[in-house]
Amino acid sequence: MTATSDLEGVLAALPRARHRETSAYPIEGRFPSVALRPESPDGVARVLAAARDARAAVVPQGARTALTLGRPVSRYDVALDTTGLHRIVEYEPADMTVTVEAGVTLHALQARLAEEGQYLSVDPPPGDEVTIGGLLATARAGAWRGLLPGVRDLVLGITVATPEGTLVSSGGRVVKNVTGYDLHRLHTGALGSLGVIVSASFKVAPLPEATAMLALRCPDIQLAERAAFELRDRRLPLRALSLLDASTATTVGVETRAPATTVLAAFEGVPAVVARAERESRDVARRMRAAIEAVPPFTWSALRRRAALAGSEEQTVLVRLGVPPSRVASTLAAVGSGRLEAWAHVAAGCVYVRGASLTAATLLALQADAHAAGGFLQVEHAPAELRDIGDAGDLELTRTLKATFDPEGVLNPGRWGDDA
Amino acid sequence: MSTSQPTLAVLVDELTRALGKSSVLARPEELIAYEYDATIERARPDIVVFPASTDDVATVLRLARKHGVPVVPRGSGTGLAGGAVPVQGGVLCVLTRMNRILEIDVRNRTATIEPGVINLQLQEAVATHGLTYAPDPSSQRVCTIGGNVATNAGGPHTLVHGSTVNHVLGMRVVLPDGRATFLGSRVPDAPGLDLRGLFVGSEGTLGIATEIVVRLVPRAEAVRTLLAIFASIEDASNAVTRVIASGVIPVALEMLDREIIRAVQHSRDVGYPEDAGAVLLVEVEGLRETVEQQSAQVIEALRAAGALDLRIASEAAERERLWEGRKSAIGAIGALAPNFYLLDGVVPRTRLPEVMRGVEELSARYGFRCGNVFHAGDGNLHPNVMFDSMEPGATERVLALGAEILRLCIEAGGAITGEHGVGLEKRSYMEWMFGADDLEAMSRIRLAFDEAGLFNPCKVLPSGHGCASAHSAELTHHLATPGVYV
Repeated sequence: MTATSDLEGVLAALPRARHRETSAYPIEGRFPSVALRPESPDGVARVLAAARDARAAVVPQGARTALTLGRPVSRYDVALDTTGLHRIVEYEPADMTVTVEAGVTLHALQARLAEEGQYLSVDPPPGDEVTIGGLLATARAGAWRGLLPGVRDLVLGITVATPEGTLVSSGGRVVKNVTGYDLHRLHTGALGSLGVIVSASFKVAPLPEATAMLALRCPDIQLAERAAFELRDRRLPLRALSLLDASTATTVGVETRAPATTVLAAFEGVPAVVARAERESRDVARRMRAAIEAVPPFTWSALRRRAALAGSEEQTVLVRLGVPPSRVASTLAAVGSGRLEAWAHVAAGCVYVRGASLTAATLLALQADAHAAGGFLQVEHAPAELRDIGDAGDLELTRTLKATFDPEGVLNPGRWGDDA
Repeated sequence: MSTSQPTLAVLVDELTRALGKSSVLARPEELIAYEYDATIERARPDIVVFPASTDDVATVLRLARKHGVPVVPRGSGTGLAGGAVPVQGGVLCVLTRMNRILEIDVRNRTATIEPGVINLQLQEAVATHGLTYAPDPSSQRVCTIGGNVATNAGGPHTLVHGSTVNHVLGMRVVLPDGRATFLGSRVPDAPGLDLRGLFVGSEGTLGIATEIVVRLVPRAEAVRTLLAIFASIEDASNAVTRVIASGVIPVALEMLDREIIRAVQHSRDVGYPEDAGAVLLVEVEGLRETVEQQSAQVIEALRAAGALDLRIASEAAERERLWEGRKSAIGAIGALAPNFYLLDGVVPRTRLPEVMRGVEELSARYGFRCGNVFHAGDGNLHPNVMFDSMEPGATERVLALGAEILRLCIEAGGAITGEHGVGLEKRSYMEWMFGADDLEAMSRIRLAFDEAGLFNPCKVLPSGHGCASAHSAELTHHLATPGVYV
């Protein structure tokens, strides 16, 4: 750990009013030596330049909901709190685009957009408390993924603060743009390892006129799978289609016992089409011998919370698998029930498994199956010894890009492994 | 910066031994056909190769790199920004023989294709399964998916569905040094850096995709196509905003002005009214109930915006006719003038009326007729400036007009290219949109993939090593031929 005296330069980058208590920023049991909360993109850039000069390691953080993604950081000297960047920079409802600073929470953004009958079609775990910067840096997705455009589809442009102390932009604020390289895509999901996102522009959508949320409690997973695909193949206006094992369903308020599997379906659209979706869902339920009922919004927010990382016990393992939709049910079945919770978002092929009893052997077996199906496995939360398991894309290109954008390893060093 | 003859001779020999004689062209008379794309910028490659597999592509790139010879990828050559023009000669790597659809996975709604598959060929193959591949550029009868990936191609249906990057899940890619890797996955949100997202739209400068996994969407249950007639472009532009403000996002929202309508009708009767100032082609799709309600909302919005008349295509044949008119628009202009300059700019939708007024004024000031056809819903404009290149000074004036129009787009908060790409044509305009630090970051990305700097040189970024910046090298204008699409 860098001695505190080396960090004087970093502290000096911002006035005293922007200094914070380091005790408020632990990451996996470690505390930084310095905590700063700039209130402008320039302030962020100054902190990074100073950190680079001091050879200090910076972890940018907003709502601090996903700091366990990737490998544990190898060094942690400076907590860079982005919540001071809280302006909505520009919002043109008639253009359906909005530009916001990275510290704005999704909750605040959605509230502002709702005033004009619009919203950003993302429902990341654990909830709307995430900041826009964190939303982009982690690219975590919820049940809407695969049915509605995700954050990767909605981001139009970005401004990023670099370790050199500059501000760099790409894209723009228009919905169609092929000018140059899409740095905004490079930074989406980059876990804050290549730059600190300070603002971004997004495409927004009109809020749906009507919505409905239903649970189909199916006797077993085969019937649940059939029900889910039938709802999908009827081209019903789905915004979410999830499968829950009995543990997960019970936790979110839909009481079932194994081997019952629950299909959670959410629909949106004009009132007539949502009514049709409800009618057809009842028809599907009947044929699959499932009990069907409307569920309140709480069910969905509770499901989002099941993928929470912060506040989980150290031993909890949360794994995200990507497999083709046709393999979702078999993956859930392979996990089994008991002391594990498993649920999936069918359209995106996203399967979550959560529990304290997941071993390295189990994870590697799940990963092998995912690979065989052309998919992937990512460990989102786990004790340190399990964090080396998981996919992270092309390592050589990742290391090269890391070396070019952050040669001194100022930002989140070690997130991508020893060399990055 | 050109390669020596002895080096080329060795390379030709090695490529021929690796790929076979029928896959390598090196005689001057064979190379001529490959010196241009849909622009008129010309440069002759030294060698043209036709790989048949990922291994072939890897071999080509590895060998070329070994000898320090540039490589330029090419699909069907319909690019509108000079992206496939081999300005420093070298090896032109043509992907058209890799044209197999490897898999259509109906249950998972994906298709895996080789880069030389023609866009329309993919559409037709998946249509039989009730599915569609959403990005549908007007050049779809000719353009390849690989080219679509390079340019992040859009099309009239981008408004709802997005462009190519929103539909590519993963790709096998050969990097400039010959190493093959996989970017993305078969499902969205692969962990790690979004190299997939970075690659799509990189205009063939970061490598060559040899297998592409795309997602498919179900065909809509119902569709309704409307043609709304307006007295002026301004009225039509205002109508665009009203339609979207009504809460409906049409799946397509295209505008054509009087010049274009007349050009199209001149070549065949597709039902466009020749006395209109502008028309809007609006399409709503979805489930029956959705289309019912939304088309009523759209009609109300169009009437409130001053539509003089509305025509609703009540059956498939009529819908086809209306679209045929739109998609053949650029080719039709060919009949009206010896040459035309096709522009591609984008502005926030709400700024369309004032920008279109500006385009009209500027064209008049420069003394050129200009026809406008564009994706109004996205604010993506395509002014077509008609001129005669044989007239002294006309070409220079047309280029100057084009630059002013692009400036207008930027001042309105837009961008210098909505879908055609930067390529050769717009490199020098990059500085209008991006600062030195931004461009430097972009060049670092390029370098991370292409350390040697030999891959599709002189494209996208303002003047790199050895890239000619003489004014004549920046000239780009388009021959009016039926083979050009927008």
